[in-house]
Amino acid sequence: MDALSQQQKLTQSPLFRFILLQFVCLVLMIADKNSHITQPLRQGLSWLAVPLIKVVDWPQQLYQTVEIAIARQAKLIDENNALKQQLLTLQLKAQRNTTLSTENQRLRAMLNTAQELPMNTSVAFVTDIAQTQKRQHIVINQGQADGLFLGQPVLSLSGVVGQVDVLAEHYAHVIVITDPAHVIPAEILRTGLRTLAYGDGDDLLLKEVPISADIRVDDVLITSGFGNRFPRGLTIANLTDVSVSAERDFQVATANPTAVINQLTEVFLIWPDEPTP
Amino acid sequence: MKAHRSQQALVHLSLLVALLLTLIPWPTALQLWMPQWTAMVIAYWSLHNQNRSVMLLAFFYGLLLDVLMGSLLGKHGMALVALSFLVLKSAKQLRMTSFWQLLLMVLVLLFNDLIIRLFIDWASYGYLPKWQDFLPLISVVFIWPWLHYLLNRIDNYLRHH
Repeated sequence: MDALSQQQKLTQSPLFRFILLQFVCLVLMIADKNSHITQPLRQGLSWLAVPLIKVVDWPQQLYQTVEIAIARQAKLIDENNALKQQLLTLQLKAQRNTTLSTENQRLRAMLNTAQELPMNTSVAFVTDIAQTQKRQHIVINQGQADGLFLGQPVLSLSGVVGQVDVLAEHYAHVIVITDPAHVIPAEILRTGLRTLAYGDGDDLLLKEVPISADIRVDDVLITSGFGNRFPRGLTIANLTDVSVSAERDFQVATANPTAVINQLTEVFLIWPDEPTP
Repeated sequence: MKAHRSQQALVHLSLLVALLLTLIPWPTALQLWMPQWTAMVIAYWSLHNQNRSVMLLAFFYGLLLDVLMGSLLGKHGMALVALSFLVLKSAKQLRMTSFWQLLLMVLVLLFNDLIIRLFIDWASYGYLPKWQDFLPLISVVFIWPWLHYLLNRIDNYLRHH
């Protein structure tokens, strides 16, 4: 009896609770860092998180609805005309593209190389959530339920944005290519030189370009397809500055991402391995 | 009994509001100064709530914050549980101290909360702290007294009606 009450006292004491909870947190962190066994817990909690995200996102959506509702007729007509013009130029480009792609396919067939398959894509919207994290994340409104997977490439119309980093049931955190912890295999479009592009806050950094290599300002950087994460040939950035490193062993280049990362409203997700049905 | 239940409701409501305040996209200039809302509310309830389940609450809301922020599961949980424990342990003395001493203690504990999270960031992906990471503590100095006053008033009101 005495032992029992003592035991009760022990489990009731704040110190015991403190140590127990800290231990649970530690185990969770290690498990989360090293494998994905905490994924069910994350998904369970994400059911509670979704309403909170919705509440924060709601004023923004309301603002957009109201903006459309009270926009003047003349403004809408102007916008409509501009869009028609844009469509026309794009259609012309697309027409040239069809002949080019058939030609490309014929050449590929002659050379017996692998056919490039069109990729399966889907659109997600960026939710307007502050990230006090030290990582550069954006939150999108699709998750595991929509077929997303970890490491999935995320693009915008103008270039690569990043990849899916943390996955919940109905939303996902996307790590941006400019995050200091992110590296993307890249290729200089003009010369075909392959290298790695490190995130550097607002820009990308190419740290390992050989001294003899030919790179210039305004060169376009595309994904090289190495590492099997990003398919080959997506635009990443334009080089803005080329110099020689302090130790004079490499050329160093900074590049400015073509995607305007802090003004994104929608992004594209791609499934590189699945062709379009 | 009824007062107890309404206090419980207030605890959850204030924590949810704190989470929302963390999530709202403030302008970038303000974002750097954002205080740790959830940590402040947890500190308040650890100080003034008589029942001892505050630590469990801290754990739960910490995990929720982790899921919302996409951080390592347990990072905010660990920091908040530690904060709650330290406040609980000295709650009796802290409730007696003067306004300035309490403010100072809260600052020290929130600094500790920052340090824990920075350490976890460093251990998990080699993040190196910058001086800007400590700006939230300055806004805590201005916000804590008002938060304390506001929650105190609401809490007292609920207790007497």
